[in-house]
Amino acid sequence: MMSSAFYHLPAVDEWRYITDEPINLAAVLSKAHRPGAGAVVLFSGETRDTSEGKAVWFLEYEAHPSMAAKMIRDILQEAIDRWGLHFAIAQHRTGVVNISDSAVVVVTGAPHRSEAYAANRFIIDKIKHEVPIWKCEHFTDGTKVWSEGCNHKEKVAAAEEVLSDSVNKF
Amino acid sequence: MKVYLYAMLKDYFDHEVWLQQPVHTIDELKEKLSAQNENARDLLDSCRFAVNDRFIDNNYIFQSHDVVSILPPASGG
Repeated sequence: MMSSAFYHLPAVDEWRYITDEPINLAAVLSKAHRPGAGAVVLFSGETRDTSEGKAVWFLEYEAHPSMAAKMIRDILQEAIDRWGLHFAIAQHRTGVVNISDSAVVVVTGAPHRSEAYAANRFIIDKIKHEVPIWKCEHFTDGTKVWSEGCNHKEKVAAAEEVLSDSVNKF
Repeated sequence: MKVYLYAMLKDYFDHEVWLQQPVHTIDELKEKLSAQNENARDLLDSCRFAVNDRFIDNNYIFQSHDVVSILPPASGG
């Protein structure tokens, strides 16, 4: 890994990035304050009650935990280095996630909001499209379907294009 | 060689598959699994492959002690 002038994340602790316990957003946010971070952005991806017109009962996530944890750590470090963040936090659920519960949280802290927003968007897009985590939608009619995911290379390229556009506007 | 399969691949295979006979390349592995379940062929073509937690490319030659993970397209978030 490249050395960085910015904050260095500790070695990979799997529980830090992948958890089968409910995500406590207030507890996560309470750790996300630094004197130099004038902007803190928290994104929570939460279970929606409908998917393509069908009523969702709950979501269930599966991960390759050791690979997913390492990849999330590397994505966070990349964002820290790229935007000069004071910190970056991300945690993704496995197991059952009920309606309105958080499946994934990303918190970024930077001196100003443009970096905090851009880095947060970068992190969640990369997690969604690259990290080996899979979503199974369970519907109220008793059926279930694995989300098909995406052609990760195309989606990430598209996301980075949007991102570079938004960065250029700042 | 031990192979772990994830998510929707488990609709077609067990989570853990033990291959007695040697398989040397990703293409051979995909062919062997597709022969077991033809319906999984397209899905296997869209998967990424990893050995000992690192992604591998099509040129990789498997060793008998490798632990292989077959990873469908990600759908987290």
